[in-house]
Amino acid sequence: MNLRAIGCNVESAAVDLREKLAFDASKTQRALAELTARFAAEAVVLGTCNRVEIYVSRQETVAALHVPLMAEFLSEIHGVPASAIAPHLYEHADASAAKHLFRVASGLDSVVLGETQIAGQVKEAFESAQKFGATGPLLNALFPCALRVSKRVRTETGIARGHVSVSSAAVDFVQQVFSSFADKTVLVIGAGKMGRLTLKHLAELKPAAVLVTNRNPERASAVAKECGGRVLPWDRLDDALAQADIVLSTTGAPEPIVSARRYAEKVRPRRGGRPQVIFDMAVPRDFDPDIHDGDAVSVFNVDDLGRVAEARMAERRKHLPAAESLIESEVAKFVGDWNRRANGPVIGQLTSEVDKLRDGIMVPLLAKLNGKLSDAEKAQIEQAFRLFQNKLLHGPIAALHESSQEGQSGGLREALRKLFGLQG
Amino acid sequence: MSASVLQNVTHSCFALSYLCALLLELGRTFWPGKGWRVAGLAFGAAGLVAHSAFILFHQPTPAAPYGSLLLLAWVLALFYLYGTVHHAKQAWAVFVLPVVIGLVGLSLALATAPNASEFTVPEWAAGDRFWGIVHGLLILGASVGISVSFLASLMYLFQARRLRKKLAPGGAVPMLSLERIETMNRRALNVAFPLLTAGLIVGTLLLSQGHVTGDNWLSLKVLTTAALWVVFLVLLYLRYGGHVPARRLALLSIAAFAILLVALVAAHPFAEGGAK
Repeated sequence: MNLRAIGCNVESAAVDLREKLAFDASKTQRALAELTARFAAEAVVLGTCNRVEIYVSRQETVAALHVPLMAEFLSEIHGVPASAIAPHLYEHADASAAKHLFRVASGLDSVVLGETQIAGQVKEAFESAQKFGATGPLLNALFPCALRVSKRVRTETGIARGHVSVSSAAVDFVQQVFSSFADKTVLVIGAGKMGRLTLKHLAELKPAAVLVTNRNPERASAVAKECGGRVLPWDRLDDALAQADIVLSTTGAPEPIVSARRYAEKVRPRRGGRPQVIFDMAVPRDFDPDIHDGDAVSVFNVDDLGRVAEARMAERRKHLPAAESLIESEVAKFVGDWNRRANGPVIGQLTSEVDKLRDGIMVPLLAKLNGKLSDAEKAQIEQAFRLFQNKLLHGPIAALHESSQEGQSGGLREALRKLFGLQG
Repeated sequence: MSASVLQNVTHSCFALSYLCALLLELGRTFWPGKGWRVAGLAFGAAGLVAHSAFILFHQPTPAAPYGSLLLLAWVLALFYLYGTVHHAKQAWAVFVLPVVIGLVGLSLALATAPNASEFTVPEWAAGDRFWGIVHGLLILGASVGISVSFLASLMYLFQARRLRKKLAPGGAVPMLSLERIETMNRRALNVAFPLLTAGLIVGTLLLSQGHVTGDNWLSLKVLTTAALWVVFLVLLYLRYGGHVPARRLALLSIAAFAILLVALVAAHPFAEGGAK
């Protein structure tokens, strides 16, 4: 295996450098073309907002690509001095490169631990390289394996469980109360930034209607336009509350706009026991916390959502050792399989070469002794030669298998090629 | 399956299978992994097969507490298997299996005869056999509905408690949404009430047509079944007319299940030597 993963991520390079090294479609194509043509390498370019990485594999008989050369290469593509790039690049070789890819695809190397988007980006990068003809036997085996591993990590550990941002945690809460959203109404009170962000997540659930109300009608119209909602006058807030299943409140009011008494008198009796979820994203709070009963009405404020998001992240961290262990075993399996696969042709060539050597000695010898030996004696000599050949090859082949299991058979394969004059 | 194989199936076979399935499901809540679920399902399915074989071979009568509890446990085991497959990500088995195991245990504790399999179709059914069977099936159907409603109520209270305390959603015991649980509860009650009413009417007619003594009308089974019907009526009124918070309805559903258990445990007034 002659595999390298070279690149930079959010930890090794600042955003301004990552921006300069970002690959668009045309740069990706150019890079893949150059890597395949100039270096006779298989290559995949992975570019996300948090990382720029190039996975390259060359034949074992040629030198690997290293950071200085890749820095030069990136410099050519992006027009950034190599000296500015090189210090920020990391390099992973062979099994370590495979492990790095498995970790990346599983979201273990992401800023938000266990994020799932990265698996799609890895898949996209691989498919794009494959479409371009830049991949070969190693990367064609490695990337699908990485995607399979990422799926295993997500399903067999809790590393990707739950939403971990404050705004998306709201979706988790709302799904604890409602199962279908096609008949639900969302009410947006106010126009705060956090509320808009949360609304974006809630809108993904495709509610039946979005109502917007605000003291300022113009602002209400702006929000309604943004989310495809309907404006309701501020003085009909109680009607809107009685109607809505999910409430998102983000006003800048200095005091609660809905007291427990107001809710109990003007809203609760009109809801007929139907459950309601209120996200009070305002600080100071818009809803009296006493409204919350966890049955007919659940009120969650920013702190509640933040606490859940943090708890989720802590929960994910607990699954890190299990995820790492799963990846370790998958890397060992992949490298072992790959080496066994790579050993096949070498062993075949080796056996065939020694067959030729044996025949080169044995056939003239038997011809020379023709007439002096019985058929049984000839067979014994042939058998002795074969036995000698088997004993001679047993050591190297066994060592090759052994080193495959340890993931280090590349050097031995190369040595055998040189020692026995095998073709690369 | 040959008769000799069926004969060897005992309560322990399916009770232990259900217990293993429950333990594996509990294991899954702490250490997520596909293996737990598959193994749990395998044990659960094996338990259901053994349970079915046992019922087929021994044919316990629903007129006796032993039989009715065993049959109810069997239907709930079916419900468990359906739910575990249908709601794969939810901690379904954690709620249903303890009830199934509890009912099997209770049926064993109430097996009055040395060999419980010797229960036969009761004498009372001999004359009006058809209506007797109809009565039994209606009450069994209602029992299933009430049991499902009980399970849904437990799930509801668990989920509502988590929401009240604002605990992180999902957690170790992933649950259906309140709305989904409520729908399940409502459907179970909607099915159970007509069945219970019809069963009660058929039972009343059978009682009044037979050689009835005052003791039979005042037997624990008749009284608790009537009380159950009244509780149901209240439950339905509160649900559809009173708009009472769902948590209170859940508590009332649990009370209904408790009354059902008493009704099932009480000996049938039609059966030989019926309870007074």
